[in-house]
Amino acid sequence: MLDSKLVRLGAVAALAVAASFGVQSEVSSAEKTVQIAGFGAKSGVVRSFGINTEAVLNGAIEAINAGGGVKLGDGSMAMLELSFYDDRCNAEEGISVLRRIAGSDAVVAIGPTCSNVAEPLFGILQKTVDDEGDSGLQIPVFTDTAIKGGLAKISQWAFRNVPNENQMYKSLFQWISSEHPDLKTVYGGVEEDFAHSRFTWHKVMKERSPEAGYEVLGESKWLLNDTNFTTQVRQMKKAKADIVAISAHPFTTCGVLKEMKRQRVKPSLLVGLTSSSSMETLQGCSEQAEGIIIPTSFAPVTPAAKAAADAAAKFDGSADLHSAAAWEIVMILKEVMEAQGITADGDSVDADRRKIRDGLANLKETDGLLGKIQRTDEGEAVKPYLYVHAQAGEWAILHDPSQ
Amino acid sequence: MDFFFGLLQIIGVHTLLGLSAYVVLQTGQVTLAQAGFFSIGAYVSAMLTVLAGWHIIPALLVSATLAGIVAGIVGFPALRIKGLMLVVATIAFGEFIRLFWFNFDYQIEKQGISVGPQGGEGFKQIRFFPENGWSTLDVAIFIWVIVALVMLALWWTDRSRAGAVLRAVGEDELAAQSVGINLTAVKVGAFAAGGFIAGIGGAIYAHYTTHIEHLNFGVMLATFAIAYPILGGLRNVFGTLVAVIFIQGILVEGLRFMGDWRNLLFGALIVLAMNIQPRGLIDERSVKLVRGLFTRDRRN
Repeated sequence: MLDSKLVRLGAVAALAVAASFGVQSEVSSAEKTVQIAGFGAKSGVVRSFGINTEAVLNGAIEAINAGGGVKLGDGSMAMLELSFYDDRCNAEEGISVLRRIAGSDAVVAIGPTCSNVAEPLFGILQKTVDDEGDSGLQIPVFTDTAIKGGLAKISQWAFRNVPNENQMYKSLFQWISSEHPDLKTVYGGVEEDFAHSRFTWHKVMKERSPEAGYEVLGESKWLLNDTNFTTQVRQMKKAKADIVAISAHPFTTCGVLKEMKRQRVKPSLLVGLTSSSSMETLQGCSEQAEGIIIPTSFAPVTPAAKAAADAAAKFDGSADLHSAAAWEIVMILKEVMEAQGITADGDSVDADRRKIRDGLANLKETDGLLGKIQRTDEGEAVKPYLYVHAQAGEWAILHDPSQ
Repeated sequence: MDFFFGLLQIIGVHTLLGLSAYVVLQTGQVTLAQAGFFSIGAYVSAMLTVLAGWHIIPALLVSATLAGIVAGIVGFPALRIKGLMLVVATIAFGEFIRLFWFNFDYQIEKQGISVGPQGGEGFKQIRFFPENGWSTLDVAIFIWVIVALVMLALWWTDRSRAGAVLRAVGEDELAAQSVGINLTAVKVGAFAAGGFIAGIGGAIYAHYTTHIEHLNFGVMLATFAIAYPILGGLRNVFGTLVAVIFIQGILVEGLRFMGDWRNLLFGALIVLAMNIQPRGLIDERSVKLVRGLFTRDRRN
């Protein structure tokens, strides 16, 4: 009796282990492939980000493979192949996932979703290339979503294709100032325990808005898992600011907007966080979000951007400013792999990773879905952007600063 | 192999966390403050290696001692309450510590860069291991030597008079007191020992992840801390280790490919395991079974 119970428990454990270490190693050996690993949050509160990234990655890879794949150093062609891992937006799990990827044949890792994962993850990478005293991991990591400012400088193996929020909000507040000279004051709402939201309010919106002549009257704080915003909105109402800037993700942005409607808080203008210019916001509170202005580095306004959006939809995801960056990353990687002449022969994984890293580090400008993307020496991107606003359940383009 | 060594590191850190709660549970006290002591170990050791340039070993010992002292101080008021009240009080303490780090800002300039804890932004660049050329295997060995030492100490304690005293207090405080056991010393001592072990775990954790922030040390971590020894069984220290392997190795890492279903299965498998082994994964029956297997082997 006892034996059978232990055997049953052991069987459950063995099945789980076998499944975990077996499923992800299904690789077609019929043709030459270049392994790419993606990772992000596919479960938990921010799961939609990981799901969208995976969909866009699959779409981009399908597009490249349909065109013949990637040209290798020996002149042959190879197909791109993606493995995608869920890190649950958890630092420990993100590190574990990256170690798993580093131990595989993947030549590059694309991710993660969350800045609180990216920060420790970049920390376990070798800080300076060729520093033999530094035993950090040596695999290029190209980030599409984790947007908190200045993270790529943590390691020379880290690269990001995320928009520069400092530039975007500086430009946005100046544009609002010129379009609405009657508005003088700003009040902030911040999702205080989420690295990106917190950074964007305290280090970006709160500092850039006074530069455009606004007076910051104060701020209300809440947490990512909060569902009640009564007090925060009451503070907001009391401040009577002309502009309310909400630095929060769609889930709590919608909660706050609904509470604002309930308490009849109607500022002259609403400004939102880049990450909230997504379908989740419109699905959650399109009525309450009507008119909110957000700077974004993605909108399906060019043929390439439309193709990316269609490809994401085909794989049950949606392209937004974060996930669309993954499309650009795959296209950039194809260019770099071909320019650097990777061999993808199984024995050259380390050499191929180094070639890709060097290629990415030397980039000064790349093609993006909305136009040219500038690359900085620190591995960051300066991307073109637009201002969009929620209008009748859709994100409509309000202004193109490049025009 | 790097991945498996990394996994060994995680299992080692969580084993220390679980053992820290195991000591306190022996005395019949249910605590959710271990995440707080864990965070003290993490932040203090990181400050010592990053800001003061200490080696990891003295940093680890000092931070763990500090966590142990704080735990001892917490242990005194905890003497006056028990059961659910103690759970609530220790949750409150854990949150107090977490929010302290959330508001704690202390940075210095080092080679032109600001380093140190920065409130809600966290504490980054805790890179003692990679900067000193420690490979993943080196770190795994380092962690497991510590885990082995802690387990050995607790295993020895379990078999000594001290272990009997801890269990006596856990089983029946009144009876223990009536035979002359000093309840105050035992309970506070268990809290302090648990805090010390949690501090060691936290110190290693900070250097494993290279970046820590207040959110790492919430109620979920505290729940895991007591879940490990309860799921593994309080009969001996190996139960905690088996539970950590079960949760971190199989449920978290092994089921990663299942996406959102993993979270669902996570809970279901724990319930299943507790139904199959209600007294913990390593209970008296399983110990007897293992002993029996070895005895049969010898006869053959």
